[in-house]
Amino acid sequence: MDEDTPLLDELEKGPWPSYVKEIKRMAKKNKAAKDLLGIQELSYKDRVTHWKHGGIVGVTGYGSGVIGRYCDVPEKFPDAAAFHTMRVNHPAGWFYSTKSLRKLCDIWEQYGSGMTNMHGSTGDAILLGTTTDNLQPCFDSLTEAGFDLGGSGSALRTIAGCVGQARCEWSNFDTLKLVHDLTMEFQDEIHRPRWPYKFKIKASGCPNDCVAAIARADFTIIGTWRDTLRIDQNAVRNYVDNGFDIKTLVVDKCPSEALEWDEKNKELKLQADDCVRCMHCINKMTKAIRPGVEGGATILIGGKAPIIKGAYLSWVLVPFMKIEPPYDEIKDLLRKIWDWWDENGRTRERLAELIERIGLKNFLKEMGIPPVPQMVYKPRANPYVYF
Amino acid sequence: MADEISSELKQKVIDYLKTVSKAKNKEVAHELGIDKHLVDKAISELSKEGKIEYLYLGASFIKLKDT
Repeated sequence: MDEDTPLLDELEKGPWPSYVKEIKRMAKKNKAAKDLLGIQELSYKDRVTHWKHGGIVGVTGYGSGVIGRYCDVPEKFPDAAAFHTMRVNHPAGWFYSTKSLRKLCDIWEQYGSGMTNMHGSTGDAILLGTTTDNLQPCFDSLTEAGFDLGGSGSALRTIAGCVGQARCEWSNFDTLKLVHDLTMEFQDEIHRPRWPYKFKIKASGCPNDCVAAIARADFTIIGTWRDTLRIDQNAVRNYVDNGFDIKTLVVDKCPSEALEWDEKNKELKLQADDCVRCMHCINKMTKAIRPGVEGGATILIGGKAPIIKGAYLSWVLVPFMKIEPPYDEIKDLLRKIWDWWDENGRTRERLAELIERIGLKNFLKEMGIPPVPQMVYKPRANPYVYF
Repeated sequence: MADEISSELKQKVIDYLKTVSKAKNKEVAHELGIDKHLVDKAISELSKEGKIEYLYLGASFIKLKDT
């Protein structure tokens, strides 16, 4: 490096991987990356950001997918004066072929800084840093290679889901198929922001919720089953015979006390009506307990980060819904929700905040959904406890 | 709901857009007294046909394409 970056260098020390190291590596062959280091160093020195929003940038026909970024000291860092981010819609479950990843990187080295964030919290492949002139040709190359941009701004954000049945035996519906179908159906909603604020949909195949949909999505789809747990009593006995403390590790930890270990008959008993489908017993005894046969999902609503009215975990809207193509039930519900939110929401008001302002009762009435006991509003107050 | 949006509805959208410089989808739906979902689809099809264009000014607007 020609210039010293003593403050940034501090971030390379320590046991964790450092993004500074990666930017330095890229800076050897890319001028924008080199200037990025300079901007960062200056920001640490001045204790103020040197990035600013400088107007709306984008590609033809799209209002989403590009996040404009300008440096407020362009004379010092001309190669990173404009450093826009492009969001690329990820494939459902993040299954890429190495060929398509190479193609993506080749395009980005041609038109951008070459630096990526795989993946951003929205789920997209984030391409970091390009100029205004390069946006359209980069987009054209991406679409030619089969990629599309994801959502940004007041639009439907790129829909995300866990790997589901592709790699996980606990998934109660095909998350990949659903995410793909919804993405195809709602292209306009992803690319053309026209709502009060952002709207996120995330799908988890089971209540383990590996994509943390309950804390991160306005519309949360979490796989569950309508019938009862399947228990293989012989496999349970095997666990116990091998020294597994079933009472301490499973029965006593059941949140609704739905399980009982019959020591005399060596049998695990289930009070099916009390089971809240939390997955704990399944996680502990994977060879002995399985979800029920009739899979579907619970639909929850209102998860969000703490921007205006604090962080919310989503709460139950529909306790059980079959999730099968063509997914008309879920699509109709989404459209109804969006219309109501668009009609009643204030600028930058997330759905959960609107429901809180106008009332859950009114929301349910508009949706035509009868209230049920499962709709516990704000079961926990702070989603960070969740992690 | 029919997959094909009627040409009559599309014409109504175009006629309304002739009277304003720009509009939001929900304004068009409200003005025409037609279900917003149908209007969204009509607007999407008109965009694909190159008859209208989107404007992004913080939120999305539509307008007739300049000829």
